[in-house]
Amino acid sequence: MQNDRVSPQPIVRVAEEPEAKTGELSELREILVGSERRQLEALRQRLDSLALDPEELAEHLPEAIALRAGRDRQLARALAPTIETAITESVRRNPQDIATAIFPVLGPAIRKAIAETMAGLINSINRAIEHSLSPRGIRWRIEAWRTGIPYAQIVIKHALIYRVEQVFLIHAETGLVLGHAAAPNLAVTDADLISGMLTAIQDFVGDSFQQEEGGKLRTFSVGELTVLVEPGPQAVIAAVVRGQAPESLLRKLQDTLETLHFQFAGPLAAFDGNATPFEAFRPMLEDCLETVLTTDDRGRASRTTHWRAWAVALALLTIVLAVLALRAQRQWDDALARLRTEPGIVLVRADRAGARWRFAGLKDPLAPDPSSALAQLNGDSTRVEARWEPYLSLDPKLVVERARRALTAPPTVALDLRGDSLIARGSASMPWVARVGALSVFPPGVSHFDVSGVEAVLPTEFAALKATVETDRVLFDAGSATPTPTTRGLLVRVAGAFGRLHNGTGEMGYRVELAIVGRTDPTGSDATNKALSQQRADVIRATLISLGVPAAVATATGIGTTSPLALPNPAEAARINRSVSFLVHLRPVTNPRKQGGSE
Amino acid sequence: MIQKKICMVGLFGTGKTCLVQQYVHSIFSTKYHSTVGVKIDRKVVQVDGASVTMVLWDLAGRDAEQDISVSYLRGAHGIIYVVDGTRRESFDQAFELRELAQATVGEVPSVVALNKTDLKDQWILGPLDDSAMAAHPWHRLRTSAKTGEGVEAAFTWLAQHTLNTERKQP
Ligand SMILES: Nc1nc2c(ncn2[C@@H]2O[C@H](COP(=O)(O)OP(=O)(O)OP(=O)(O)O)[C@@H](O)[C@H]2O)c(=O)[nH]1
Ligand SMILES: [Mg+2]
Repeated sequence: MQNDRVSPQPIVRVAEEPEAKTGELSELREILVGSERRQLEALRQRLDSLALDPEELAEHLPEAIALRAGRDRQLARALAPTIETAITESVRRNPQDIATAIFPVLGPAIRKAIAETMAGLINSINRAIEHSLSPRGIRWRIEAWRTGIPYAQIVIKHALIYRVEQVFLIHAETGLVLGHAAAPNLAVTDADLISGMLTAIQDFVGDSFQQEEGGKLRTFSVGELTVLVEPGPQAVIAAVVRGQAPESLLRKLQDTLETLHFQFAGPLAAFDGNATPFEAFRPMLEDCLETVLTTDDRGRASRTTHWRAWAVALALLTIVLAVLALRAQRQWDDALARLRTEPGIVLVRADRAGARWRFAGLKDPLAPDPSSALAQLNGDSTRVEARWEPYLSLDPKLVVERARRALTAPPTVALDLRGDSLIARGSASMPWVARVGALSVFPPGVSHFDVSGVEAVLPTEFAALKATVETDRVLFDAGSATPTPTTRGLLVRVAGAFGRLHNGTGEMGYRVELAIVGRTDPTGSDATNKALSQQRADVIRATLISLGVPAAVATATGIGTTSPLALPNPAEAARINRSVSFLVHLRPVTNPRKQGGSE
Repeated sequence: MIQKKICMVGLFGTGKTCLVQQYVHSIFSTKYHSTVGVKIDRKVVQVDGASVTMVLWDLAGRDAEQDISVSYLRGAHGIIYVVDGTRRESFDQAFELRELAQATVGEVPSVVALNKTDLKDQWILGPLDDSAMAAHPWHRLRTSAKTGEGVEAAFTWLAQHTLNTERKQP
């Protein structure tokens, strides 16, 4: 088209020249070289009209093409539309041929595209996971949930440096949209309206500010969006960018626009509202769509945060495990300590497998069963296993316990082991005292048994008799050792009571003794008082023996005033101390073997 | 995808905006909001089985202060001159506007919409005016943005003719 227009012009100019110049000079020229000029013209015309000989053309065409192609791109540009048409035609006629021809190219291209898509997908999944695990990710999820905006968009909103959301290719003159590309999941239906308005705005700005060419609106902002407008002679490219658009984006838009003008010069010039030819340019527009999220720096930072979070979690886990292990160890140690200190238990083997405990050893039947205590320490009775062989322990506690059982000692008796001697204290019934006192075989671990510390408790009947004997008192006149006549009845009673006591306790293995104690009032010397008191005691003893009290168990002692009976009134005190009183002593019948063994 | 740029031209208050509103959204309002600059709307129509997007540039009408901005007319594939059938000046100036538009876009399919045809009692156009208009190759129609009369027809005619007409350079 250009060549057609350019080439005829020189010819026209040459042809016009003689007519333009008139006057003498031309006349002179006509005279001088007129015929030669006409000849020249004829020759030239012949040359011009010389038909191209196909033979000759075939000869020179390859060379010519090579020559021109080496010089510039003019030829390629000229041929491109024809070749495109040819290919289109060929595809239309027989798609199979072309498919076969381009298959080797297409295959790898498709694979590459798929690989890139997959990489992008994996990348976005990674990012999503990364963000969803971080506290920031959780915050964003909450935001997404709160605002109802999809999570992916929230991520983009926060992690975004910039995103080219839409690219418009607009026919400069009409403002009609030639092409439009939008970021995925961004529904845009008003590309034509927006294109129109963008153009109207451009027109308006151009009109209003009367700027010379190039003084067009290049950028403007709408909220978070920036619109970059790059005008070209036939088309305008506009990009809607969220975030901070870099300088490089503008260059990319310019490049794209230049490519369009170069590749689609024809369709652009012929554009009459039909944007179909520009469909082919869509990939270039889509190329301009890009999303640049936070740089690796922040990514790395967040990864470190993750790492740190994991480390903390790991540390916590370790601590928990350590605490658990320590606790288990302490429980085990406690269990061992308990078994080792427990009297009557000899731990022979103890081992631990995880939470499972196994014990084996000896156990005195009297030792308390440790299994419930062990189960409590372990926390699970099924994980404790113990096998105890019975044995007799000589642990003092157990010896005493065993003795207590063997002797059927009443709770009022306290047993104590000193070396191998068992010492009993407290009080017990007379029969018990008598029985154990008579024992000659002792429980294991006991060689001697001292029961002297146990007070034999009299049966009530005997206690009453004893009291009768001990409360009665024989009074004397001052200085006299002769009992008053009324005393006789009293002594009969004492002798009777004592006799019954003597008989009864004898059956229980006791020997009962009657101590007859004579006293005097404080008047007079101690010596005379002592003698008087002895006289008084002797007299009463004699009387009692005469009344049936066995002489062997009756002792008479005059204590004078050494241990007087006390009363507040001196006269009364003197009166009751001029007396003889009685004490009953009960002693177990001595076991000659026991006594002999101990000394 | 075929698109056509259509410009609404006329004196202020002739009903350009109302016609577009009626055509695109089927609504009418008696409220008058004078257009500032230009407002763009679009409607997709089917013409002979092809879908055509009509991008409608509703230009601010000419008034005493401001003439229409010819930059908005650039590249228009079709023009609708809107005349208010109750105002003579709107009729007279339609011819001037035609000249103006032609200088920018050349001879493109055009419609002259004699609007507000519902206002019969105020109508001032007569047969003489009809013949005056016949002197030019524009398609004449009576329209009412209020009743919708002739609106669809005006735009459809333009859609058909812009689609079938090769554009001539001015
Ligand atoms: N009765 C009647 N009133 C109309 C009709 N069309 C427009 N109007 C009224 O005329 C007034 C102006 O209408 P617009 O459509 O805003 O006029 P316009 O041409 O856009 O005006 P500018 O934007 O100022 O150029 C409004 O009050 C409309 O209600 C019509 O067909 N019939
Ligand atoms: Mg208006």
